[in-house]
Amino acid sequence: MVEDAHSRRAADSRVRTGDEVTKADFVGRDVITINDFRQSEILFLLDAADQFETAAPPLLSGRVIATLFFEPSTRTRLSFESAVGRLGGVCIGFAEGGVSSQAKGESVADTVRVVEGYSDAILIRHPKEGSARLAAEFAEVPVVNCGDGAHQHPTQTFVDLYTLRRECGRIEELNVVFVGDLRYGRTVHSLVTSLALFDAKLTFVSPEFLRLPREQRDALDAMGVSYREVRKIDDTLAEADVLYVTRVQRERFTDPMEFEKVRDSYRIDGDTLAKARPEVVILHPLPRVDEISPEVDAHPHAAYFRQAHYGVAVRQALLSLLLDCTGEVL
Amino acid sequence: MTAPTIKVSALGRGTVLDHLLAGSAMRAYRVLGLGSEYTVTVGINLASSRLGHKDIIKIEGHELTEKEAAKIAMLSPDATLSIIRDYKVVRKVPLKLPERVQGILRCPNPACITRSEKTPGSFRVDSAAPVTVTCEYCERTITEEQLDFV
Repeated sequence: MVEDAHSRRAADSRVRTGDEVTKADFVGRDVITINDFRQSEILFLLDAADQFETAAPPLLSGRVIATLFFEPSTRTRLSFESAVGRLGGVCIGFAEGGVSSQAKGESVADTVRVVEGYSDAILIRHPKEGSARLAAEFAEVPVVNCGDGAHQHPTQTFVDLYTLRRECGRIEELNVVFVGDLRYGRTVHSLVTSLALFDAKLTFVSPEFLRLPREQRDALDAMGVSYREVRKIDDTLAEADVLYVTRVQRERFTDPMEFEKVRDSYRIDGDTLAKARPEVVILHPLPRVDEISPEVDAHPHAAYFRQAHYGVAVRQALLSLLLDCTGEVL
Repeated sequence: MTAPTIKVSALGRGTVLDHLLAGSAMRAYRVLGLGSEYTVTVGINLASSRLGHKDIIKIEGHELTEKEAAKIAMLSPDATLSIIRDYKVVRKVPLKLPERVQGILRCPNPACITRSEKTPGSFRVDSAAPVTVTCEYCERTITEEQLDFV
């Protein structure tokens, strides 16, 4: 059900009325949590990403982007590097904390103060929650949170919303079922409140130990959003427009026994999909381990690899806007 | 026969914390972390026309700093603070829970960046009595029982 960019914008036109956004709203800005962005700003960015799917002029020529990845990453780091490279910029940085001066005991604050002198923007991933906020306090250049522990991953949310619009034709009023590790899944934490802005119907499927944290539930309550929490995925399949599946993250558990208890809680396979609507869209921020069976990959609406690919256009749009380098594209 | 009373000597110089939430005085005293050089009188569960019951703390020889007062306000937002000099009350103010507190709390979330970096914790105050705050870094909500004072 892929629609063209014009149709997608038309479908979202109701929410942007009376809330004008311009490129200037993005220039020099830090991207720390998704809650820092108004709904209209998110839609502006998604519209911009549409343009970058077909155009990649050297807008970032002469710009240097620092990637400070203190934790492993494949999609986020490489899609950012791809985005920068395709726009003619250069990336510097590291892909694990062990090769930086963190190994010698350097603080995040000091690392950022040094690196801002080498770069025009800083992309940071760090296992500690709030690390991107702290980094932004010490840097004059824009700081982009690429995942801070179990807290937030706002650029993944931009990608997820973009994927929903591409795959479902709209973001509004979708019935979205989140499955798996909702406790430690930072992509879930970032996505739920933004989906609530779009009147999504939200259902959370997890073992008790991995249920959505109180902060997110309180935020939804404060927004007046009703949602369901269930233990069995079968109860949700008949009405789901989207299954957002997440990995149980071994690296977030301090107690291996707790991990073993919940690691195989859910598995999406052919039998699962047989109970779902034929047009259900399946997303996953990846990496997956066993929670989605390989047989699902052939499903026409298994969108998780396309979701990863959309990340390049979305991140091209974001960096171009932050650095005021949109040229003729926007 | 008159009822027996306990005499508490008047303060020459120091601080009186009055209208503390009944039952909160001992925690408030511990949170202040005062040295042994100060004479401190603690009254617990005293009759109060305003609150029904209240606690009170008198500290001889020490005037509470703003940070110390903010800590007490977190535990007992309706308390009043009096500064005494030469046996006279020179300032009497109701404590006020600030909208934001910095440098007086430690985030209890072991995964919060403020636990490993040398940065003062910063918190948004969400509600009073019982107080809840949100860490401005990790955004965890912290309840009154979880408050970890520096």
